[in-house]
Amino acid sequence: MSDGIRAPVLDGRNLRKSYHLAEQTVQALRGVSLSVAPGEYVAIVGPSGCGKSTLLQLLGGIDAPTGGTVSVLGTELGQLSDRELTHLRLTRLGFVFQRFHLLPVLTALENIELPMAEAGVARAERRERARALLDYVGLADRAAHRATQLSGGEMQRVAVARALANRPAIILADEPTGELDAATGRELLALFRRLNADGATLVVVTHDERLAAEAGRVVPMLDGMITCS
Amino acid sequence: MLLSLAPTPVRAQRPGVAVERRLAERLGLRVGDTMRLASSPDSAGRLFSVAAIYDPPRDPAALLKRELRLRMHLPDLAALLGAPDRIDRAGVALRPGVSAETAAARINLSAFGYRAAPSREIAAESSQTFAVVSRFHRAIAVITVVASAVFLLCIMLLKVEERRRDAAVMRFIGVRRRTIFGALLLEAAAIAIVGALLGIAIAWAAGALTNLYYQHYFATQVVFSLITPRIVLFGVALSLVLGVGAGALAALRLVRTRPAVLWGRG
Repeated sequence: MSDGIRAPVLDGRNLRKSYHLAEQTVQALRGVSLSVAPGEYVAIVGPSGCGKSTLLQLLGGIDAPTGGTVSVLGTELGQLSDRELTHLRLTRLGFVFQRFHLLPVLTALENIELPMAEAGVARAERRERARALLDYVGLADRAAHRATQLSGGEMQRVAVARALANRPAIILADEPTGELDAATGRELLALFRRLNADGATLVVVTHDERLAAEAGRVVPMLDGMITCS
Repeated sequence: MLLSLAPTPVRAQRPGVAVERRLAERLGLRVGDTMRLASSPDSAGRLFSVAAIYDPPRDPAALLKRELRLRMHLPDLAALLGAPDRIDRAGVALRPGVSAETAAARINLSAFGYRAAPSREIAAESSQTFAVVSRFHRAIAVITVVASAVFLLCIMLLKVEERRRDAAVMRFIGVRRRTIFGALLLEAAAIAIVGALLGIAIAWAAGALTNLYYQHYFATQVVFSLITPRIVLFGVALSLVLGVGAGALAALRLVRTRPAVLWGRG
């Protein structure tokens, strides 16, 4: 690969997705193409129902497109078995959700350790890494607290730390500030900014204009298509 | 045989009689007291000395008869009844090692007008009611187990249904199906064991209350409700099998569903 040309870490080509609802077929995506370069911070914006979350799910290998292809680090997801796809999501992608979705019976530290345990990281190493990640998101003193004992902002920061656990190539976030108040939302913006400055590739679906304004590139969507990028 | 009882203080040496504790308590009798026994209310009867007060063996069959008993030597009984050549029942004690069946056969061959039978045979005959009740209990238990299994399966399906989004997120972040399946199975086993232990604790408490009430009601030491280690083991094992089975079915249904569908899309 020559200098100056960076191969995309994430590449979606002519993506189409349709759902069958009763007798109707709903076209959620109508031929969307999107490439994300390493270290890029991309915000996908648009009104509700325009296909942003569907696009993120296809890019993250959570759902399969009706048409088109998705490649992550040069690997085409359509060619992978369910097991290989699961492993790729575990090791190459990090997910952050609107409602945090931490496991309530586990502590903050254990929630972060979970993807590492699944990836086979040794206990001592994963504990050390989980502590470092908690420190990174500013929650070192909350390690032993269960998810239910944390505030919304704290839960989301733990969710970000969990997404970073296996050192993923890309972090995909779906409305990460959607459940947070203005103050905690700002904390998360700062965290994302810091993550990107430290080299993380971020793709964020958001309604939040402040979050979109932080991104290096904004991708607006309407009716299942990218309007301009 | 009808006996009328009348405690009477008399100084002379009298034939001894052993009185069942409940009867002694009811009449306020103590060892050494003298009592008059008669075969009918209008006969004079005879005087006996209370030689012993005894606790009868625990016999569930005797509970509802409400009989109060006393024991005396056979000649005294014959004299009291005025029928020295007549008895209704007699027990024969055998030396250790002697077969009851052989002894009964030999007695039956020796004369006519009575029938000798081993006590096991008599107990089986008098326990027919309990055998029928026991069969009813088994039938009720089977119906309860089947109904519980269906209920447990429904509960497990609902519990797992509640986890759809959590399971979806786990799948999104790369957790394998078998890890999720194992976690749900462990949870089902834990719920089953806790449920079984709780059930045993409730059964033990209910049994204790039942015993307390009926032992007082019948003035007996008969144990009406008994929870044995075998019952506990059976209960826990059955609960574990049903719980894990129901959990496995529910978990299998969950992990076979695509993550996007679990999430509510697709």
